[in-house]
Amino acid sequence: MNKSIIFCGVGGDGIITASNICAVALMRANFDVKKSEVHGMSQRGGSVNAFLVYGKKVYSFLPAKGSLNYMFASEKLEALRNVDYLNPDSKLLVNDRIVPIVGANIDEAQIEESLKSYSLDLKLINFNDLAKQHNMQKAINTIMLGYFSKIIEIDKKYFIRAISDNLSPKLIDINIEAFEIGFNLQ
Amino acid sequence: MRKIISGNEAIAIGAYRANASFASGYPGTPSSEILEYTKTFEDIKVQWASNEKSAFEQALGSSIAGRRSFVTMKHVGLNVAADSLMSSSYTGVNAGFVVVVADDPGMHSSQNEQDTRLFAKFAQVPILEPSDAKEAMGFMQYAFSLSEEYDTPVILRSTTRVSHTQELVYFDMHKLGGMEDKLLAKNISKYVLVPKNALLRHKKLLERNTKLQKLTNEIPLNKMEQGSLNVGIITSGVSYLYAKELLPEANFLKIGLSWPFPIDLAKEFAKNFEKVIVIEELEPYIEEQLKIADIKNVEGKKFFPQDGEFNLDIVEEGLAKASVLEKRHKKYFEVPKNLPLRPPVLCPGCPHRPIFDILHSLRVYVTGDIGCYTLGAAAPLSSIHTTVCMGASISMGYGIAKASQNHKIVSVIGDSTFLHTGIQPLIDAYVNNVAYTVIILDNSITAMTGGQPDAVSGFNIKNEPAPKVDLENLVRSIGIKRVFKVDQYDYKKTKEIIEQEVNTKELSVIIATRPCVLAPIKIKEMPYFVIVDKCIDCKRCLRIGCPAIGYKENKAYIIEDLCTGCGLCAEVCPTLAIVKGESNE
Repeated sequence: MNKSIIFCGVGGDGIITASNICAVALMRANFDVKKSEVHGMSQRGGSVNAFLVYGKKVYSFLPAKGSLNYMFASEKLEALRNVDYLNPDSKLLVNDRIVPIVGANIDEAQIEESLKSYSLDLKLINFNDLAKQHNMQKAINTIMLGYFSKIIEIDKKYFIRAISDNLSPKLIDINIEAFEIGFNLQ
Repeated sequence: MRKIISGNEAIAIGAYRANASFASGYPGTPSSEILEYTKTFEDIKVQWASNEKSAFEQALGSSIAGRRSFVTMKHVGLNVAADSLMSSSYTGVNAGFVVVVADDPGMHSSQNEQDTRLFAKFAQVPILEPSDAKEAMGFMQYAFSLSEEYDTPVILRSTTRVSHTQELVYFDMHKLGGMEDKLLAKNISKYVLVPKNALLRHKKLLERNTKLQKLTNEIPLNKMEQGSLNVGIITSGVSYLYAKELLPEANFLKIGLSWPFPIDLAKEFAKNFEKVIVIEELEPYIEEQLKIADIKNVEGKKFFPQDGEFNLDIVEEGLAKASVLEKRHKKYFEVPKNLPLRPPVLCPGCPHRPIFDILHSLRVYVTGDIGCYTLGAAAPLSSIHTTVCMGASISMGYGIAKASQNHKIVSVIGDSTFLHTGIQPLIDAYVNNVAYTVIILDNSITAMTGGQPDAVSGFNIKNEPAPKVDLENLVRSIGIKRVFKVDQYDYKKTKEIIEQEVNTKELSVIIATRPCVLAPIKIKEMPYFVIVDKCIDCKRCLRIGCPAIGYKENKAYIIEDLCTGCGLCAEVCPTLAIVKGESNE
């Protein structure tokens, strides 16, 4: 049975890079992998998402609504926006923060309550604060990926390789370090 | 090699393996990355052109010179190159010539969702429709040999979901053998389309169609897949993948070469089933071909929408309507209603923002164009009143200025768009004495599509230094007298000049010169902050629509890591509550 992941967040967040690293890790773990994302205007601070489907043999790039196993969300409101792809068995990792929207009032408490109201396996962690503690503001998503690798139960060695494959040489060490911080987070 | 690659990367690799040696194009989502990948191959001469027509003809010329060549664009780009396409179908080619066109069903980043297959039929050139990255690579290679064998341009049609999807592909980087360059073709009766020659070429084209008609019924790109279910599905592109995922046991006729349409093959396929279902995105192209051929047991758009992008849910619903699939009772959540939309916005520090703030405050009528600056139409700036297609800002501004003498009309256009199709209407405006104001938003890059260089950037696709066009000289050379250069970050001066020009009854061009904050280098200066005690909750700074400005407890605040330090908010703040530096809080 194929499994699928949604990566979602705000344009410019690095959602595409995070999904790329995860795709390569899954390839290294010997899965067939297909990934689909939306480019263009949404990169200018709009909502962004990427879908990743993996398994023995994958046809469709896109999963059906209600069929996703996992969510990796870099922002709470964007997590909520995509709950229709989830089902009661889905597992979620959400960065506990809100990115403001021009011209809109966001009721943060309401968003959080709403997100928690689904009977989901939800991990809500403020990775921005965590990154700041370690002075790693540029590797927030990699810290998240470290934690996420445990949720999707994929050996971290594949992720370490994928980080080396995907990032420019000067960024590799710091991102591996960031991955470990996430991985070791309880 | 085992690698995860995108459809666009696959197209570039396919071209490389087919020994292509020249590529040109104009950036446009979702096609832009094809040339970005192509530039990594030393053996291919690659460049951006000012528009798709120019790019098309450069590649056609290179084909006539004997080199395998291709051109890339998005669907609406083919409208610009349509003139060249229609006639190149008559001239034919010399070395292989492929026109790569990426459609955008669902309009992720486009002004319409037209279907390029109809263009192929119109121009009578073969069109290939890959379903995924692996096929895109193979189809691209095949397109070159098809082009040579049948002496025709060949269109390779991608869609957003093929171009931007990544998948695991096994491949090698060996070039295929037996593709030596040809000699420069000198053949006046073939390449000079005066009526006498063109009439003969039209006959050649019709002969070619007959041969292609035979090919399309036999070619493995159009293939039947037998299944155990008594259901027949005819489909192409990504629709095939969705159908295959949902009904793997159905019988498929998968169309890879969709013009000329394999009508005999379809007849043979259709006769086995009581009902045949056509699944295709956008236009009912396949369905119409079948119905014209009087194949009666076919239905398509009766079950599937003619607009938007398909996905598993839409295809599943259509198959359920067609009674060949029982809709699963899936459990999924409803997204809460009234969730605020997060539309794309101009970046923090974007130099377009001050211009739109000024235009908004002057209450002028603004004709806009295609690019990041189209976002000036979004609230709270809300200061663009038309956007139709590339170059249309200046020509439509012209028309509006002619028709409504008493209104103040301003056209805004980016540097890349101005060079694409903006110069011509500006010349028309000059020679016809039309009085309005044209603002060229010269950020020196094609920003919307990811920062590709253009003719004013001073560097080329390979990041090498390149000659650059001087926009001021270009505009002055038309004969226009009122030409001004402004720096948008100098808000007061910029406002003064725009105000002066919209109140002058003469044609004027204002060139706004601030570069893009993202490309080629990311600009980040010391951020600003709000002195809370001075903030009087007037919300003036919120009206500039900057994503770095937030609002909490009746006060504005600035998100430090988003702020690029452009200072526009400080310029518009009436109480001088916004200052540069780090907040003490």
